This record gives sequence, structure tokens and C-alpha cells, in this order.
Amino acid sequence: MSLAGYEVEVQRDGGLTTEEMTLNMGPQHPSTHGVLRFIVKADGEVMRTAIPDIGYLHRSIEKISEKVGYHGFMPYTDRVDYVSAMQCNQGWGMVCERIANIEVPRRGEFCRVIACELGRIASHLLAVGAMVQDIGAYTPFLHALREREKINNLLEELCGARLTFNYMRIGGVAWDLPTGYPETVTAFLDQFDPLIDEYHDLISYNKVYVERLASVGVVSKEEAINYNLVGPNLRASGFKYDVRRDEPYSIYSELEFDVPVGTGEVGTLGDCFDRYMVRMKEMRESCKIVRQCLNMMPPGPVLAKVARKLKPPSGDAYIRVEGSRGDMGWYVVSDGSEFPYRTKIRTGSFAAMSIVDKVSRGLMIADLIALIASFDVVAPEVDR
Amino acid sequence: MQPFIDRLIANGAFAGMPVEVVYALMMILFGVLVVFGFFLPIAGVTSWLERRVWARIQSRIGPNRVGPQGFLQWLADGIKLLLKEDIVPDAADRPLFLFAPYFVVWGIVATFVVIPFSSSLIIADMNVGILYLTAVTALVVVGVLMAGWASNNKWSLIGGIRSAAQIISYEIPASLALLPIVLLSGTLSTQGIIAAQGWAPWHWFAFHNPFTFIAAFMFYVAALAEGNRTPFDIPEAESELVAGFCTEYSGFRYLLFFMAEWGNLYVIGAVATLLFFGGWQVPAWTSNTVLLNISQFGVFFLKSYFWVFISMWVRATLPRVRVDQLMILCWKYLVPIGFMNLIGTAIWMVVWPQGNRVVQYGLVILTVAVLVQFSRRVRFHLRRARPELYYSPAI
Amino acid sequence: MAKNDIARYFKNIKDAVATIFEGMTVTCSHFVRKPYTIQYPDRVPVRIQDTLPFRYRGILEVDLEICTGCLACERACPIDCIVIDAPKDQKTKEMLLTRFDIDIAKCMYCGLCSEVCPTGSIHHTTEFEGADFSLESMIRRFVKAPVVAYKAKKEGETDPVVAPILERGMRYIQEFAEPADMKKLKAEQKSAAA
Repeated sequence: MSLAGYEVEVQRDGGLTTEEMTLNMGPQHPSTHGVLRFIVKADGEVMRTAIPDIGYLHRSIEKISEKVGYHGFMPYTDRVDYVSAMQCNQGWGMVCERIANIEVPRRGEFCRVIACELGRIASHLLAVGAMVQDIGAYTPFLHALREREKINNLLEELCGARLTFNYMRIGGVAWDLPTGYPETVTAFLDQFDPLIDEYHDLISYNKVYVERLASVGVVSKEEAINYNLVGPNLRASGFKYDVRRDEPYSIYSELEFDVPVGTGEVGTLGDCFDRYMVRMKEMRESCKIVRQCLNMMPPGPVLAKVARKLKPPSGDAYIRVEGSRGDMGWYVVSDGSEFPYRTKIRTGSFAAMSIVDKVSRGLMIADLIALIASFDVVAPEVDR
Repeated sequence: MQPFIDRLIANGAFAGMPVEVVYALMMILFGVLVVFGFFLPIAGVTSWLERRVWARIQSRIGPNRVGPQGFLQWLADGIKLLLKEDIVPDAADRPLFLFAPYFVVWGIVATFVVIPFSSSLIIADMNVGILYLTAVTALVVVGVLMAGWASNNKWSLIGGIRSAAQIISYEIPASLALLPIVLLSGTLSTQGIIAAQGWAPWHWFAFHNPFTFIAAFMFYVAALAEGNRTPFDIPEAESELVAGFCTEYSGFRYLLFFMAEWGNLYVIGAVATLLFFGGWQVPAWTSNTVLLNISQFGVFFLKSYFWVFISMWVRATLPRVRVDQLMILCWKYLVPIGFMNLIGTAIWMVVWPQGNRVVQYGLVILTVAVLVQFSRRVRFHLRRARPELYYSPAI
Repeated sequence: MAKNDIARYFKNIKDAVATIFEGMTVTCSHFVRKPYTIQYPDRVPVRIQDTLPFRYRGILEVDLEICTGCLACERACPIDCIVIDAPKDQKTKEMLLTRFDIDIAKCMYCGLCSEVCPTGSIHHTTEFEGADFSLESMIRRFVKAPVVAYKAKKEGETDPVVAPILERGMRYIQEFAEPADMKKLKAEQKSAAA
């Protein structure tokens, strides 16, 4: 039977006829976080499948790099994952440094890590805030965004922009920390730490909230590895893998921090609540890292001397950074000219999208919202 | 109000007119009075206040430009919506689509008939007042279901169906919560129920015995669920169903849905007040009937608005429950507890026909203790977060 | 099992009441907290533009008095939103700036152009209100009439009109590249070495 162009499966059961309902969630839907589309086949409230349809936000960022050169591509990396642009900056900077053999000054590395970790806090705040909002509570979302705003102010002071930072350069960072910056950041962290506890009191352990998330959308450890989940989504399934710890880059090997993993404290290991909680815990770890960096910071230059027209030797390089949405891979091929021959970006959200169909079977429509939010999918990162 | 009209007729104010016509005219007059004099402004002001309360909880300011402190925002919003085009989708079931919002508003406005604002300010003191209340509020579900179906939109349909399931289910715990009160007062008339209580908290039915104490909260929860309020706003869950049953509505009809929602909020507060919290009861401080009635109205309004305020506050705190959890809450928790309350109250009435004073005082003290603990926790949160304090409600 | 279920039943009720109570205390404490909103644009004590940090990358501006016409910014711009025409005057052999357009609609405020500028002529302001009614009007044309490009003098700038502008431009570059505490640090290192 065909209805409005869709093939509809009709099940006859006794005299009653039931039809599977095809729902179009997105691309314009309040909780798909950008322009994502899910084709949902539902039996009443219960979903049979939810097939993600991506590509609405494809801006051919990788292709652009072949036209604008190594230095000129840096602002575009902000747009790969606009929620935590610092790590993208760092990824591009690192891959170019590797292919062109550039040493970053030590102070520059510290500046990078401070900026990245602040960015990570901001990104996780948005992630948990948006998740809570999708569950239906509006207040915690705005409390999270209020704190994110303060971080945005800090980053604005550091690099002059609130969202598209373009702070890092190939060979270091563009600008050193401004005067009095460590004090400002410490003051922020001091007032931010108790607010995480307050957030827990307000919503994290709220019975309604826990019930919505516990044992919903369970991703087992094996599944997570098979589907190539990365970052907080992988760690929530109980697999302790963090690029910062396992393949330390920059100065992460000198810093002390924990890698929080999911514990299944209210339901099953790897459910939505674990993914939420891992992000909450990671914010604390990021605070710790920023404090350590501010204390350890050596004096010196922040930017290495790099040719204006960078012409790396031909070859290729691949690096990985731990973005807010997990292991972010940056691959660049150089043919010896001043433009990259090919660039490839591998992102965490894209991997997370692949598992949505499998996990969402048999969930309710309301659970799909929680599931997408718990994967912290950012549409531009999926499509690039 | 009927005695008042009867007196007018007896005094010959409408000489020469058939009595039926007088009653019909009076009905229209009071209808207009209630809708335009009370329901509209109260829904509007509630919408403004809700936004302000929300904003304050969320570290925002909220509407503060139209009128003093943005007080006239509701008028501006209403006029804006009135001036918008009333769009009817091509594929919609036109008559049903157009008529659905009226059903919703009708169901809410009709409840005002039995709400006693003071000892003599009531449109009709029916002897089946409570029954009437539960009956007309169920009319809302017809409107919502019509809206969901007629929109010919899958999201609307899910919203409508969810709403039907929700409202019909929650009729039961709501009614079960009313029944202990009916038992205690021995009447279904709203004025009778208030008359059976006193002005002091320990005279209120909420503090009569532990079962009614629980029933009061149960009623409030069930009423919120019937009124589609967070945490039970699943029919219009904006993050799941876009806007649920009112997705396709615009302009005036959309306004009607929201007017009904906010008007219903007041009705919830008023019913909770009249059943459990002493209604308009005040100490007999004056023999002047007019002054006494004014003070009664004030007390009733404040009490009922307090519950409206609580519902705003709850809405700003809690996330939304899932549709199956909503049903679990209803059938596995509220309904059994409701039956327990009913039986418990009946037994209580057998054991202590006049009520137990010690228990009544004890329950009041318990409530005060909870409030004290509450303020201690608030102080704790303030001390931990060390925020910048700002006490004035005005900005 | 039945006993466990009953225990869980009452634990659920207790948990729900306790956590909702706790959540309500948090939201109640927000009634006396100061709102964080900035009432942009009209109800702010200071213009927002004046409160922004020095490094803020707002709408670009060009001081033509100190523009050397080196085209470094045009080359650095990844989206070609800067267009400069600087032909050589056949008679005087001087470089003339006949066109210096910045398309604000295209500009992504990355700051790459102001970084390479040798004199700080092209720089970001803290101005961010760039809305306009048409795309054409968003192209800022800085050259009204052809001007002679600035040429750095060996003995230092003496022209009273240009000198303060150049000084400001150089300060812009310096404060972007080397913030104040670095300067202090260098001075300390120097004094320590001496």
C-alpha cells in the first residue's frame, strides 16, 4: 500500500488494521541540534527504526583546504565543530607541524592546552545543557549556558572571538595570554566548581531525569568498539580510552588527570545516563588540567617562526586529538606546493550517527531524543 | 448568583419579561463577565508572571519592556496573535480544525461556574459541584483530540492521542483525591465543602488526617497532569513533538489553546484551595457583608494563586516524564494511593468522627518543619555557589 | 522477590520526593540571585563596544595614512574579501591607492589580515553592528580619492598628522603579538642579565 509516496507496511491482525507510521524527524525539528534528519518508522510511540539522513550541512570544508593553503585554512577549522573549535584548531595546527617539521614553543603548547580545555568545558556544558533541555527541563539548560557564556568571555579576552576562535597558528598560538589572565581564569574555575555540584543537585539525580535516561539506549563495550564510537560516548560504555592519556600529544603526558568512564550507576553500563555523567566528570578534569597548566606555565615565545608561504615537503601526515566529541583525526597530503593536496577530517559525531539506527530499535520516540542528545551530535561535525 | 437574580425578579426589576428570558440574559451577562472580566486577564497575567518567574530562576530578566516591569506584555502578545493570519492547512479537516480550540476553552471556562470566590460570589452553587467540575474538565480532551486529528499532521496526531490517554487516565486519581474530601464534608457542593472547613490551617481538610494530607498532593499532581503542565506536558512536548496538537495552529486559535492552559492553571489552584486549603474562609472580623466578601475574595485569590505560582516553579525545575512512565505513575502509584486514602479516610471517620486535634496540629507542625528544612537547603545552596545576591523582584 | 519489589516501590516514591525537593531548593535559591542578562542595546551602563576586550575582532578598519599598499592583507585573506588596487603613478613614480574595499558581508573576522600588516593600518575595531539593507552597501570603500601609499621613513615618522596614527597602529601590532606581561618579562630578563 502506498500512502503519500511512501510504501507503508500494512499488518492485518484479526479485523483491525494497523499501519506503521513513517515520521520525518527533521531536518527542521527542535531537538535534532542543527539540520539532521531521522526517518522514523514508528508503531504508535514505539520506534521500529530511526535511520539518520545526513548531509544537510555539508560545506565541503575538506575541499576548501585545497584552495586556501595551510595558513588560510585555520579559520575554516573553526567551522568543523563550531561548539568546540579550539580542538579543531589544534588538530590542523598539529598536522601541519608534523608534515612541515615545526617545533612548537613550550609556552605555546601550554596556551593551546588551556584554550582547548576551556573549550572542552564550554562544549560539554552545551552538551549536557541541551540534553537536559531535550528531556524537558529548561532551567538547567540556561544555567549551563550562563556558565558557557562566562567561558566565552574568557576566550574572547584570549583570542578576540566567542565562537570561531582562530586562535592557533601553525607553530603555536597567535597571541600570548593577556595580562592578568591566569587570575581571571582561576576566579572563574573557583566559582564554577561548586556549580557542578549544584547542577547535580538540581537535575542529575532528579528521579524523573534518572528514569528517563537509565537503561535507555544501552551501547555495550563491544558494540561501542565495533561501531567505532570515540570520546565520551566510548568511555561511557566502560572502555577507558582517551587520546590525551593513551597517545599523549602536546604536553598532556606531563599533566595529571583522570579519564572518567561510565559506571552504570543508575542503570546499565553504557546507557544515556552514563554518557551524560562522563561529560559532567570530564568538566571537572578539564578544570584540573587548566589549573595545572596555569601553575606550570613557563615563560617564552608562543609562536615558532613559520614561513608565510608554507611549503611542506611532499608526503602525508595523520594526527589525532581528543576533541570534545572524541578522537578527531586530521590527515593531510602534501605535494610540495603551498596548498594541501588532500585533507581528511575524521570526527566523532559521524561515528556516533552510525550506531543510532541499531540502538534506537524498540525505543520510544521520546527516547530517541534523549539518545541523540546523549551522543552529543553536532550536525556540522557530522557533515563537515 | 441565582439567589441574587431571584431577588431582582421578585423586586420587579424585570417586570414584563418572561423569567426564562431573564435567566438566559443573565447567563450571557455572567458568561461575558467571567470570560472578559476574569478568565482573560487572569490567563494573560499568569502568562506574564510565569515568564518572569521562569526568567528569574534561569538567571534571566524576562519581559520587562511593555508597561511597568513588562506587566502589559500579555496584552501585546494577545493583540499580536489576534492580528496574525489564521492559517488552516489544506489537508486539514476544516470544520474540526476550526472548532477544536473552542472546545478546549469551553471546558476550562465552564469550571468557573462552580468556583466560589467568596461566601456569596459564585455563579451557581450546584449541589453536584464537584461532579460538574470533573465532568467539564474532561471536555478539554475532546478539543485536544479534535485538534490533533484535524491537523492531519503526524506530530499533532501523536500529541492528541497522548493527551487523550493522559487526561482520561488522570481523571481517575484526581477523582480519587477528591473523594476523601467529599466523604469528610458529606456534600458535593463547593460552597458546602468550604463551609465544612475553617479559617485556620488546622481546620483545613489538607491537615485533617494523614490521608487527606497525601490526597492534597496527589490531587495537585493529577491536576497538573490533566492540565498538560510540565512535568506532564507530553502532548505538546516541544522537544519531541515540535508543538504537539497545536503545531498547525496559528493566530487566534493558537492563542485560545494557550489561554486555556493558563486559565486552567488558575482553575487547578482554585480547586485545590477550595478542597484542601480552606477556600475563602476568613475569621469573622467584621459584620459588614461587603467588606467580609472582599476579604474572602482576597484570601481565596491569594491561596489559589499561590498554587499557580508553585506550578510555575515546578515547571522550571522538573524535566518531562516519558509517556509510559506517565501511565506508570498514574496506574501504579497514584491510583493505589488514592484508594488507600479513600479507605483510610473512611476508617478515620469511624474512629474519630470529630477529627483528631493532635494529628491536625501535628500535620501543620510537620509542614512548618518541612519549610524550615527547605529554607536551610536554600541557604546551603546560596552559600556554596556564592552568587551575587539581588533581592528585589523588579528589574 | 515480592518483598524487594515493595521495597523498591517505596524507595521510588521516597527518591522522587527527596530529589524533587532538592531540585526545588536550588531553583528557589535562584530567586535571590542576580540575573546574568545584559540588556543590549539600550539598557546597559556602558556601550557594549567599550566593554569588549582589546583583542576583540570586530569590523575591519583601515588607516589609509599609514597603508603601505603592500597587499599582504589581500594575500592573507582566505576568502578574498579585501580588494586593493595600487597602481604606480607614471609621473611621480609613487604608489597610488585607488581602491581599498572590504566586503563586510563576506568577512569572517579571522584576523589573518591584521596580523600580517606591517604598520597596523588594517585593524579590527570593537564595532560589531554591521547589519545593513543590501549586500552592496556592506562593501566598505575606504579610498574616496586616490591617495599616495605610505612609505616608511628611515629617520622615523615626523609628520604630525601621520605620526600619532602610526604610533597607534604599531601599538596595535605590538599588543597583539607581545602582550604587556611579556614586555615586563623581557625587561626583567634583561635587567637580570645585566
